Amino acid sequence: MRGRRVLTLIVAFCALAAAGGQATIATSAAGNTEKVGGKLVIANETGATWTCQFNPFNSALNFASMGFVYEPLEFVDILETKSNGTSPVTPWLATGSTWSNNDTTLTFTIRSGVKWSDGKPFTANDVVYTFDAMKANATLDVDALWSVHGGALTNVALQGANQVVFTFSGPVEPYFYYVADQTPIIPQHIWASLDQSNLISYSDPNPVGTGPYLVKSCSLDNIKYLRNSHYWQSKPGHPVPQIEELDYPAFLSSTPCNLELIQGQAQWGGQPLPNIKTSYVAKDPAFRHYWFPPVEDVSIFPNLANPLLSKLAVRQAISLAISRPDIAKRGESGYEPPANQTGVVLPTFKKWYEPSLNTVTYDPSKADQILEAAGFKKGSNGIYQDAQGQQLSFTIITVSGFADWDSSLQVITQELKAVGIQITAEDENSGPYVTALESGSFQLAYAGGGGPYPVDGPSPYYELRGLLFSGNIGSTDYSRYSSPSTDALFNAYGAATPAQQVTIMHQIEKVMVDDIPFIPVTEGVSWFEYENQHIGGWPTAANPYAQPAVYNLPDDGIILTHLYPIS
Amino acid sequence: MRYIVRRLGLFLVTLWAALTVNFIIPRAIPGNEASAVLATYHGISPAALHALEIEFGVNVHQNVILTYFQYLGNCFTGQFGLTAQRVPVLTEILNKAPWTIGLVGITTILAFLAGTIVGVVSAWWRGGRLDSFLPPLLFIVASFPLFFVGLILIFIFAVFLNWLPLGSNYSMAVAPSLSPSFIGDVLVHAILPGATLTIVTTGLWVYSMRNNMITTISEDYVKMARAKGLSSWRIMLDYAARNAILPNLTGFAMQLGYVLGGSILVEYTFSYPGLGYLFYTSSTDHDLALMQGLFLFYTLAVLVCVLIADFATAVLDPRTREA
Amino acid sequence: MSVPLISAAETTPNVAASQRLVGALRNLLRAILGNRKATAGVLILLILAFVAAFPGLIAHDNPQAAIYGVNLGSSSRHLLGTTTVGQDVFSQLIWGTRLTVIIVVVVSAIATFISMIIGVTAAYVGGFTDRWLSLLTDVFLILPTLPLLIVLASYLPSGAMSMIIVLCITCWAFQARQLRSQGMSLRSRDFLLAARIRGERTSYIILAEIVPNMTSLLVASFLGLAVFVVGFAAGLQFLGLGNSSQMTWGTMLYYAESNGALESGNIWWILAPGFAVALMGAGFALVNYAFDEIGNPALRPVRKRRARTPA
Repeated sequence: MRGRRVLTLIVAFCALAAAGGQATIATSAAGNTEKVGGKLVIANETGATWTCQFNPFNSALNFASMGFVYEPLEFVDILETKSNGTSPVTPWLATGSTWSNNDTTLTFTIRSGVKWSDGKPFTANDVVYTFDAMKANATLDVDALWSVHGGALTNVALQGANQVVFTFSGPVEPYFYYVADQTPIIPQHIWASLDQSNLISYSDPNPVGTGPYLVKSCSLDNIKYLRNSHYWQSKPGHPVPQIEELDYPAFLSSTPCNLELIQGQAQWGGQPLPNIKTSYVAKDPAFRHYWFPPVEDVSIFPNLANPLLSKLAVRQAISLAISRPDIAKRGESGYEPPANQTGVVLPTFKKWYEPSLNTVTYDPSKADQILEAAGFKKGSNGIYQDAQGQQLSFTIITVSGFADWDSSLQVITQELKAVGIQITAEDENSGPYVTALESGSFQLAYAGGGGPYPVDGPSPYYELRGLLFSGNIGSTDYSRYSSPSTDALFNAYGAATPAQQVTIMHQIEKVMVDDIPFIPVTEGVSWFEYENQHIGGWPTAANPYAQPAVYNLPDDGIILTHLYPIS
Repeated sequence: MRYIVRRLGLFLVTLWAALTVNFIIPRAIPGNEASAVLATYHGISPAALHALEIEFGVNVHQNVILTYFQYLGNCFTGQFGLTAQRVPVLTEILNKAPWTIGLVGITTILAFLAGTIVGVVSAWWRGGRLDSFLPPLLFIVASFPLFFVGLILIFIFAVFLNWLPLGSNYSMAVAPSLSPSFIGDVLVHAILPGATLTIVTTGLWVYSMRNNMITTISEDYVKMARAKGLSSWRIMLDYAARNAILPNLTGFAMQLGYVLGGSILVEYTFSYPGLGYLFYTSSTDHDLALMQGLFLFYTLAVLVCVLIADFATAVLDPRTREA
Repeated sequence: MSVPLISAAETTPNVAASQRLVGALRNLLRAILGNRKATAGVLILLILAFVAAFPGLIAHDNPQAAIYGVNLGSSSRHLLGTTTVGQDVFSQLIWGTRLTVIIVVVVSAIATFISMIIGVTAAYVGGFTDRWLSLLTDVFLILPTLPLLIVLASYLPSGAMSMIIVLCITCWAFQARQLRSQGMSLRSRDFLLAARIRGERTSYIILAEIVPNMTSLLVASFLGLAVFVVGFAAGLQFLGLGNSSQMTWGTMLYYAESNGALESGNIWWILAPGFAVALMGAGFALVNYAFDEIGNPALRPVRKRRARTPA
């Protein structure tokens, strides 16, 4: 920490009040003159021009509304872990919450004095309405809160004037993240008058929310946001937000978007810039920075229904044969750190990581030994085959358009070939790719971040449960892994204390290393570039108060409440 | 009259064929109807996704024939459905169309003019300095892939010399309006993509114009005109060129299809947000409705041009009416 | 359109075929060497064919091996630098030639064949069949090629096989009209009448009598088609609709573009395969251009001030 402190002091205007790894909302950063002004331009390529629709439940479009206009009940910072094993929770539209009845009842106290952007008061009724609307419309319930295995929401009700009580059918403490952090609260007085059976199709062109910004104008190419002067976090002498205007231009491809960043016309980037040090940072090293915190695994998924891949030896060989650092360097240009076989993303989740468990690391000669011990023999073409002559030759599907995954697969192909396993990469468009993943019509698949379903969360539980819990076969359990003992571990996690959760996580890591249900390769990151000559208050590695990518929701809104203009 | 009826018949049949191709292909390969939905709605649970599928009406197993006729009917009433982002397809197309039409229209006219002039002049002065180097050069350049010429131009003018922008149709700094500065900005951004299209397609016109001219020049009536003592220019323009252009007209319309297709590659290379880029993204997203709508638009554009060219030829060239 | 190099035999085809072949080849060689464009074009194509057949003789590195330094510039060790993964660009260019050439040649051949069958059948059988086949041809000519290619390619599984199929479907109609008109002009020839009297089947007449007499036009069609196929195939792969694990020039372009090669200064990675595609297209175009000149004497270059034979 101390070395990092020195570094931040060296960078002019950017001394942030980081203290022991825990960030708080209220303190003003040094250099913040509490002035309002300035303009922030965002550089995030989405591949399409704007539709000027802002429905916060429409995951194709909500990156422009969630955080800017709509807000959650409480904010969970998944990049930080406190010493007690939980992630810092910041009250937002709720001032606090408590679990009771063995983690089956969750009670929120709703903040008072908050106004919707049309002036009407925000109340607990809006919260109840939001969740009831999700119950009536499965299309809005993106995290399946009302239908999830083993602990679905059964009731949401008003209690007193300003409390909302959530009742679950089982202990689901991890679901706090989805309820509190991931759900946008919508105004009842506007949405209740719409066709209730078809809320997902509501285009919401003039979104009314509680958030720090209003949509001032929207065209095909650009969305302009204006600061909400009645935002609930503003206090006399401490206006929030402080950046007056935002521009969010639409980019069809990464080249012009990267160019905006490189030429300094945008200040907040969400791009994987090629050669970032020479093309971006070098142009203005004092003020240009980037930070790519890892949040999930990108992995090779073997289809366990495949007779050859069902053999543990084969999966072990694959995991031993690949050099993750090499793949990270070549395939991902060093932007994504190498992953490890335990499946725990480091350093983000190091609290749950048990280093002694990571016994499957790069060792190609051991891969050979294991395969031969399992009865495989190398054929004349250098590829292993079993006693029946079945070769270890597989196809691996990946998504068209992810050039870095294609590059990583080129390296993986070569490294596996060196131990006598042959793979051929097949690009598929995302629709057929997702269908193949869900239905298990593949041999090997390269998947992870960017896949179809949310696996991010404040601990490895979220990703690993998505990928290993047997109830998720047909959705996120791509390998089709099913183990009652592992299921029991996940179920126990839901009712455990933070300390117990760490222990349970270690056991899950052991499952990952012993059974190798899938093979993590690199760690998917949040893409983040920023300049701090004109705008300060950014999250950094030293002060990771939020996920920094402009497309991380609702973290983008949290960041917007921190930024301030530097004159 | 019969000629016109025949050509109209061809128009209708081709239109029907395009509509049918549009309908059949995505449905011929199983499991594709839901693709567009899955592709854009990321980060949601399976329950939400299945609900979406029902809501959007995909994966509903209706009688194919019935769907086909519904589809045909919808096309004629201008209902092309919604894109994967729930925007009407027609709106998307009309929003982007001016950019592509502007780019392709202007460059086609430029290329046609340039190609025709070069073809006429170099054919008239066969073997001269112009003829021995310009037509072959242009023809070779015409065989270059469009995106390659685009990349070269980008490299020379945008990266190396930094004179012109890398792509897009106008820069973020200028707000869209009818002001001279905006129009100037649009034109500056259109230079490189326009140059790419013009450079490559000029060669096609040169080739056909020159061949037609050469054949026409050897005709008797040209010799007669020369014998009569008419000036070279007069013969070249009034006698030879006028007749040589005619077979070119229908060819012009056919080649428009090639240029429209090529504009997809050019727009992709320059990230130029016109119909071509929209078509590309609709194909990677498997946005069925949008892709169908755009394909229909392209086919219709070519058909209309062919029809106009045919009628123009019929009016201008009495020979065709005897066919 | 063009006059065939080989004069159509007016009598029965029993003249020694080998004699005809040798004579034809000699004519061909003379024509090629006598025409500058033809020479250049044929030379280019021969070089490409050689590289496609024997890549190992020219490039010694494994094109797939991602073991070198990443994004290196050109040097004596890596003539065209390395990719973002650390593969040798020059090797990729050389080894990628084979699949590229195969795709172009196979597609052009199949499409020309289909084109010929349909064109000649329409010409020979005439009447109703002619009208329907001509209609079919016109429809496919009007349907815009690249959009149709994209629609087809985005739904079929990616790969060389799919690419060949979709290219054949979209490109067969290009030359059908010319082949049909050639067929029409041959229709009334005596040798065909003789075959009909002999009682030969229509399919035999088309395949064994008409087609061999159209050889020069078929070759011209093949060449003319190849120019377009090269561009379309590369274009599809450049857009990312090919199979990115197969090594062709088009997939090289796709990787280079996706990794921002041009902007980040790794220019040879993207320009070299582009040049190669342009070169192949130019080769076919030159030969095609020269072919027209050879076949149609009116188009031949007029050589002034080079007094050859006295009047």
